Amino acid sequence: MGGQEKSSSNSNSMQRVKVYQLNDDGKWDDHGTGHVTVDYLERSEDLGIFVFDEDNETLLLHRISSEDIYRKQEDSIISWRDPEYATELALSFQETSGCSYIWDHICNVQRNMHFSSLNNNTFHSVNSELRELPPVELSTLPLIHKTVYEGRVTDKMQLIDLILNDQEFLRKLMHLFRLCEDLEHLSDLQMICRIVKGIILLNSPQIFEKIFGDELIMDIIGSLEYDPEVPHVQQHRNFLKEHVVFKEAIPIRDPIVLSKIHQTYRVGYLKDVVLARMLDDTIIANLNSIIHSNNAIVVSLLKDDSTFIQELFERLDNPATPSESKKNLVYFLHDFCSLSKSLQMVQQLRLFRDLVGVGIFKIIADALQSDDNRLILTGTDIIILFMNQDPNLLRSYVVRPDDGDGAKLLGLLVKGMVTDFGDDMHCQFLEILRSLLDSYTLSGGQRDSVIEIFYEKHLGQLIDVIVASCPSVTSHSLRNEMGSGRVKNQQRTKPEILSNICELLCFCVLHHPYRIKCNFLLNNVADKVLLLMQRREKYLVVAAVRFFRTILSRHDEHIISHIVRNNLLKPIVDAFVRNGDRYNLLNSVVLELLEYIRKENLKLLLKYIVDSFWNELVKFEHLPCIQSFKVKYEQCLENGGTRGPINVSDPRKRIDERALEKEEEDYFNEDSDEEDTASASASQSRKVQPQPVLSNGVSASHQSISRRTGGLVDYDDDEDDEDYRPPPRRQKDNPDDEEATMDSIRLKRKLAPKDKEPDISKRPRLNKNPKSKDNSVFAALCSTLSQAVLPSKKTASNMHSSPQAGDADKNAHEQNHEDFAPTRGSSDSSSSDDETHKEKESASPRSCSECVQSTSDNRQLGSEDTPLVQPKSSPEMAVNGS
Amino acid sequence: MSDLDKQIEQLKRCEPLKESEVKALCLKAMEILVEESNVQRVDAPVTICGDIHGQFYDMKELFKVGGDCPKTNYLFLGDFVDRGFYSVETFLLLLALKVRYPDRITLIRGNHESRQITQVYGFYDECLRKYGSANVWRYCTDIFDYLSLSALIENKIFSVHGGLSPTINTLDQIRTIDRKQEVPHDGAMCDLLWSDPEDIVDGWGLSPRGAGFLFGGSVVTNFNHSNNIDYICRAHQLVMEGYKWMFNEQIVTVWSAPNYCYRCGNVAAILELDENLDKRFRVFDAAPQESRGTPAKKPAPDYFL
Repeated sequence: MGGQEKSSSNSNSMQRVKVYQLNDDGKWDDHGTGHVTVDYLERSEDLGIFVFDEDNETLLLHRISSEDIYRKQEDSIISWRDPEYATELALSFQETSGCSYIWDHICNVQRNMHFSSLNNNTFHSVNSELRELPPVELSTLPLIHKTVYEGRVTDKMQLIDLILNDQEFLRKLMHLFRLCEDLEHLSDLQMICRIVKGIILLNSPQIFEKIFGDELIMDIIGSLEYDPEVPHVQQHRNFLKEHVVFKEAIPIRDPIVLSKIHQTYRVGYLKDVVLARMLDDTIIANLNSIIHSNNAIVVSLLKDDSTFIQELFERLDNPATPSESKKNLVYFLHDFCSLSKSLQMVQQLRLFRDLVGVGIFKIIADALQSDDNRLILTGTDIIILFMNQDPNLLRSYVVRPDDGDGAKLLGLLVKGMVTDFGDDMHCQFLEILRSLLDSYTLSGGQRDSVIEIFYEKHLGQLIDVIVASCPSVTSHSLRNEMGSGRVKNQQRTKPEILSNICELLCFCVLHHPYRIKCNFLLNNVADKVLLLMQRREKYLVVAAVRFFRTILSRHDEHIISHIVRNNLLKPIVDAFVRNGDRYNLLNSVVLELLEYIRKENLKLLLKYIVDSFWNELVKFEHLPCIQSFKVKYEQCLENGGTRGPINVSDPRKRIDERALEKEEEDYFNEDSDEEDTASASASQSRKVQPQPVLSNGVSASHQSISRRTGGLVDYDDDEDDEDYRPPPRRQKDNPDDEEATMDSIRLKRKLAPKDKEPDISKRPRLNKNPKSKDNSVFAALCSTLSQAVLPSKKTASNMHSSPQAGDADKNAHEQNHEDFAPTRGSSDSSSSDDETHKEKESASPRSCSECVQSTSDNRQLGSEDTPLVQPKSSPEMAVNGS
Repeated sequence: MSDLDKQIEQLKRCEPLKESEVKALCLKAMEILVEESNVQRVDAPVTICGDIHGQFYDMKELFKVGGDCPKTNYLFLGDFVDRGFYSVETFLLLLALKVRYPDRITLIRGNHESRQITQVYGFYDECLRKYGSANVWRYCTDIFDYLSLSALIENKIFSVHGGLSPTINTLDQIRTIDRKQEVPHDGAMCDLLWSDPEDIVDGWGLSPRGAGFLFGGSVVTNFNHSNNIDYICRAHQLVMEGYKWMFNEQIVTVWSAPNYCYRCGNVAAILELDENLDKRFRVFDAAPQESRGTPAKKPAPDYFL
């Protein structure tokens, strides 16, 4: 067992593993930590897996089986059902490279077992023990080739050691390459190419370190130009030397940084271009980790170089800097921020804070006002990086009182949302606004202020764009022939922009139910959005229906009665009827809407729809969905008699936990609005109601709604939307709302006792760190923002344990150990190669749903009336949750 | 030759479109797809294809075997992207064909046509690498939301990417799904894209994939009976022989990515149905090495860091 010490000393941390055994209760017992090796079993030709602990005690000895019993999970775990122990065993690796290394060994051993059982003789005829490397000469190339390709597993380990120990081997090989190239010996060049490929396939990080060093890398790339499997000799070096430009937006003086930057590009080029076809996942993982750690080194060295950052921002600030070089500086800044994803979470956050400190948002604001769309795009990309890291950085900037810059930036973002950038922009602004306004994030003050500013100043702008671009408003001027300004406007606003607005509005409905409710009822926003039903583009029509459906998911009876009163469903039913028997998305969306109303038993709407539209809907009675709708209506009549629909008197009073800033609102809003907390000022007394504890956050809000049976409401009298008017704009002519106001006052009283116990529930909430792991996992997973997805082999579970893309630090691995047990479910279920692929995939949705769950738990703690639905999901998710 | 035809020619050479062209193409595609059904009707004769996974040159082999697009009527069962080197070109070619010949090619959604999945399995990275920004990924993933969920051939063959759902007993229940959304983590839409048939399962079982279900023979029998269909055609699982019948020929898996991930060593298949719905499986191999260009993964030629 001589090899074992050698190899373990080679790569200590790489081979560090925890040994787990499945106990009778189906739980994983930790059997200790040690180093793993693959070696011959004593007095045997067979290979085994050994794990020795610190004191060289054997923790595990397992004869590698030729059976397909091994499973690799999440890049860091190998598990199998051990015939000798008669249970499941698992090795959890500290490093993924170690895992893939051992995994490859197991695979090779198995392959050789199959091979040798087929063809015993030929296999053993090759050198059974590799003692030294052949000398590097032209005449020995075939022998070197044979050595690299034909050895057994143990020989490969030996070979790696020999190459590493022989300082001259690689250098001589490359010398030989240059010689052959001078002599134009094609066949020798091809042989060298194959040898180099073979050496790369050994997948040894230490060898990579050598061959990617400044001294050898260009020759290595050169030798790979002569790949006999590719019809033409490639021109990689030419491309790298002649075509690739290293742009120095600002001079970098540190030679280490420079060398790392170039190396990173070249290794990336090797991985993506030169070797793309021959690399397997484990080698790619190793190359990615080289790139990843290089990036981390480069960014840390630059960020710690205070003069560098200083110079960078001075130039950006300086009006004398030519605009072309300013652009390059912004592009550089983007790359810099983007690479910082390779830093550890904490460091990255610190860096971003520092960048805010030196004025990066001001630079971005300038960029957003440029005429150059690419520059604008880069600006948004940088913001998105910041939002992914911590949305509060931008939030605090937006709300800071000292100058108008923050507010201005928010204005630019909203303006960007409704500006036509031609083909250069898609939904960046939508994404940024979404994360700015995201109410699932835990922290309070700034977020709420941002939301407030947005509603006060900007929501109207967005609605106006819709109104201006919809025919029904402009039909008058259309009839009058030639276009007024409005008609031009309608033609100008691109449908994509309208569709983005619609999406943002749906988001707002889910995130700021109260604020949007005030707004909707006051300004007839819903009615205005439904103008989109007139648009020619079917997808906008569908988007409008979806928006409507999203509002319904709020179960808000004030809005529902508003809908009924204003006959808002008419355009939807009309569009549905007009669409006829065509089974398209519009058809599905409307049917889904009806189905939702039926399932949720929204009686007011049931009655309204059948009473108002049955004459038209009857044509569709052949559809089961329409049939059941009618049946439900009839049941509803029978049960309810003429009493009218049951009122959900206040679906959200349990959420009534935050104080309102303006005292008046206490009276005129019967339920406080969670976004109305510009009142975040701690001094203000807050009403905090203990949060109902629910194990399953997803079901929290809606369960209580559906169970509720309240008094009746006569919706004709329910003219209470004015209740939601903020005092200054309040109208006086609302004689009908007295009853509702009374209701709300009664409600306040009922809640009063609870107001006295705010601190109990508040404290734990505040303790919850806004940047808790779950939260950022959520951000990482569920956002569609440009999240660099790790050195490409990042599995979902990686994402789960280390949200920070590429944060392959030790902590993450520690977490992998923790995360291991819960995933065992999949370890015994697969049985073929394709299953391995499946399994990788499987991890993904699972961990996604885990993350949804965990964030919804967070939300439980955080903001109680958020809809407990992940942002990307459709309104339907809300239904599922109920 | 129209712009679109030129773009199709360009894509057939495995050259990606410009970002602005992608945007325009996606907008056109959106208008077409929004008119399609959750259960899209398809007429025979038709050729059914399973997963492609960005293996562009292998898809060209597929077209060699099955015939060119407007001449042959195609139904693709999803999973166009991820894993292979050419997800961008593969999906854009299919999409361009869809826009050019909407009635001759049907594309339905696979579980990889999703924002979350493509961020993990390669399509996102590929877009970023080839275009320098994620915009193309955004356009494409937006289009994914509009893709139909299933197809019904001559009222007799139900086609879907993954399989059945415990919440779906009749085809009509699929109608009331608002499919324009990211693939959810559970529910009917998720199951259609994620489930697998499984021999050992009686009824419904938990899926090791973490989404969707495993379903057994009795489930398929009931479904086929109550919807009056002959059999189900689906993809989603690698089968080494390219296709595989299960449950007494009540469900067939078709897999169209030969040598999956460029190393699984499997053959691929497509299923040709003639006007009488008579079946012919056409099995094919991966494209020979020579016919492949170097991977079109070239990084941007300039760099700051």
